[in-house]
Amino acid sequence: MSVGTMLMQLGKGMISTTEIFFLTLLFSLPLGLFVSFGRMSKNGLLRGISKFYISIMRGTPLMLQLLVVYFAPYYLFGLNLRGYRFPAIILAFSINYAAYFAEIYRGGIESMPVGQYEAARVLGYNKLQTFVKIILPQVIKRIMPSITNETITLVKDTSLAFVLAHAEMFTLAKQIAAKETSMAPLMAAGVFYYIFNFIVAFSMERIEKALNYYR
Amino acid sequence: MENNTNVLLEINHMCKGFEGLDVIKDISLSVKEGEVVSIIGPSGSGKSTLLRCATMLERMEGGELIYLGKKAVWEENGKCVYAGKAQLREIRKNFGLVFQNFNLFPHYSVMKNITDAPVSVDGVSKGEAKKRAESLLQQLGLSDKADAYPYQLSGGQQQRVSIARALALQPKILFFDEPTSALDPELTGEVLKVIRQLAKEHMTMIIVTHEMQFARELSDRIIFMDQGVIMEQGTPEEVFSSDKERVRDFIGKFQA
Repeated sequence: MSVGTMLMQLGKGMISTTEIFFLTLLFSLPLGLFVSFGRMSKNGLLRGISKFYISIMRGTPLMLQLLVVYFAPYYLFGLNLRGYRFPAIILAFSINYAAYFAEIYRGGIESMPVGQYEAARVLGYNKLQTFVKIILPQVIKRIMPSITNETITLVKDTSLAFVLAHAEMFTLAKQIAAKETSMAPLMAAGVFYYIFNFIVAFSMERIEKALNYYR
Repeated sequence: MENNTNVLLEINHMCKGFEGLDVIKDISLSVKEGEVVSIIGPSGSGKSTLLRCATMLERMEGGELIYLGKKAVWEENGKCVYAGKAQLREIRKNFGLVFQNFNLFPHYSVMKNITDAPVSVDGVSKGEAKKRAESLLQQLGLSDKADAYPYQLSGGQQQRVSIARALALQPKILFFDEPTSALDPELTGEVLKVIRQLAKEHMTMIIVTHEMQFARELSDRIIFMDQGVIMEQGTPEEVFSSDKERVRDFIGKFQA
């Protein structure tokens, strides 16, 4: 196999990796916010459930979660779902990352000075306005470095989709490497991941800078 | 004269405790339109708690709270009951509060800090809110700071912005919770100047402060609190010449 063909194939895998990456962020970022609300809820049951959820998601391997999410419908309910492989990957990644994001949001929200809430209350803002206009924008600024960290980890974690034999970049690199008995595809994959993360880090830094208009 | 002046705020038998410790013990107080009332007293005497209960940041445990004749809090079967959400929202419009540490919104410019609540809470048009803000900023000598962010301002400027933010909602009563305690003497002066100006315009104000001289020259009435009760109240002359030892002691320390 020529280097060109190899890179072409890896490039295709890269597209799939990018899909997993963006879809996971799309679902897990908002989902994490709701989990963090549950985690901070006054309702003990809701708080307990959220805590348990976070503890399972953080306490077991993501690879195992991928397998469970993919195979559970068949083994538990006898369902033979067609085309479930990709949705299963997105689902598993999203619920896993939501747990991590939830704790990041919680840290950010709990670090907000109570005076901000009090000022908003006296000025007549309702709870939703207070959160959306006053609290959340400041929380986002505070948690950006942690979000960047998670996001970079996610880029690399997408490679775990290989356990479900999904044709993302790492799966392909491994296959080609085995077939060609060569290290080159793996090295090339490493370079791809690095470039991807370089772009991610660069973009996040831009966002952080943009948020630096206030202190 | 007493009869034809509006009572804006009425506190009857307010009680409040924290973990079994009584911080406010059966305090009654009423404030008329145009009155400037200063609350002084040692730390831990309950001044700030009184203010925080009156502005509903803290839940009172006994007594009544009435703004312009409308009950915000009352007692039923020995327990405090608060009015419904919608009513409280209306009642809250009657007062503003200036905090000790300003609590400006750091992500909003000075202009947005002042205009956002009128627009998104009171439904004032953006143009009108901006006009109000500009006139307030001019009045407070901050016209050139409209586009600045709070972190770019001195403490005194920040406190003046927070006063403007409160005034932009056109409250009938303005509460101050130790407005100069976070400021050095120079910056304190510029904030006190603004409060004096408001007093001249007959703004009704309730001020918790440690600035004795300021309270003396500005207030219509001074309330001296100690251990959760009003120990002395009256005109500045009356309070400053009180024959109660505790009051004399406390005031004496500031005049030394």
